[in-house]
Amino acid sequence: MAKPLDHKTATDVELVAASQAGDMVAFEELVARHRDKIYARAFSMMRNEEEAIDLAQEAWVKAWQRLKQFQGDSSFATWMTRIVINLCLDQLRRQKRTRAESIEQLDEELGGVERQMPVVASNPTEGLERAELRKRIDKAMVQLSYEHRTVLILHEFEEMEYKQIAKVMNCSIGTVMSRLFYARRRLASLLQSLKKEQQS
Amino acid sequence: MNIELKLQALVDGELDACGLREVEALLARDEFASSLVQELKWTKSAIRHSEAGASLPESREFFWSKIERGIAAEARNQASPAAPIAPAWWAKLLFPASGLAAMVAVMFVLSGTRPSADDALNENVSEDINAYSFHSEAEKMSVVYVSDENADFSPVGQEVKHETETEK
Repeated sequence: MAKPLDHKTATDVELVAASQAGDMVAFEELVARHRDKIYARAFSMMRNEEEAIDLAQEAWVKAWQRLKQFQGDSSFATWMTRIVINLCLDQLRRQKRTRAESIEQLDEELGGVERQMPVVASNPTEGLERAELRKRIDKAMVQLSYEHRTVLILHEFEEMEYKQIAKVMNCSIGTVMSRLFYARRRLASLLQSLKKEQQS
Repeated sequence: MNIELKLQALVDGELDACGLREVEALLARDEFASSLVQELKWTKSAIRHSEAGASLPESREFFWSKIERGIAAEARNQASPAAPIAPAWWAKLLFPASGLAAMVAVMFVLSGTRPSADDALNENVSEDINAYSFHSEAEKMSVVYVSDENADFSPVGQEVKHETETEK
């Protein structure tokens, strides 16, 4: 007779297998383990607590429905993160369609702005405590458009390659590179301004 | 790909061997390119070390109860048929079959009241059943057109009267 699964000590792989067989207690344990990471990714993309909670919840419902499709090619956490990223991108695209584009955003899409920015000569984050660094990066990220923020998140936090980002964002590799370049240059400029503000 | 994007690809480790040689040669002679690469490295490193681990501002029980309700709602949606049921194959034949029945009835009535003139006769049998009949004494034939749902008229039956040897 098979030993009953101890949900608290079971590995993710075991919990996924049990969930695929319809064990909702196993799925609840998976939710408890990864809910903060999934919410954090949604929040980093949406910059809105309420929307991030709703999208994280939707991602878990979708995950339950598609659990049979999960083959274990990546970790369960990575698979879940992709689901929430896709939901956030859909939501951001819907929001973008309903709001007018700013002149700055149009300029960004056309390209060329980043070449006019002067190169930052000294490290704008040198000597900062981790908490202060997070605060400043967070403040600067808010000022980026969702496309630029998303490429940064996918590249730096999710450690995706250009071609993977292009697939997720449904655009060309060239567009990914341009957006990443602009986002980094703008972020460097914003961090430099924050450093100057702090010094004065 | 422009040179700035190649410099960025170098920082990200996404440059092929040919691009790598080109960029290294550029960096050896171009101070601006070197300082741009340095800036890109600073920014990349700062972001990588800055991800805040946000916590979900809801209790485990409350969040799970919402997910459970969501799963149950989705299961209900999938259980109830969303699309209207397609008509059965026999139902699709019902319309032309009723027209055909009407045609037979009309032909039966017309057979006793044909005009003596030899002109072809075209008449709308009834507005309700969307059928037209055509009768020609000269051609010795009757044709009935019945329309389908799209009001496309097509002949559904014809009767040709062949002269018998005694009539000749």
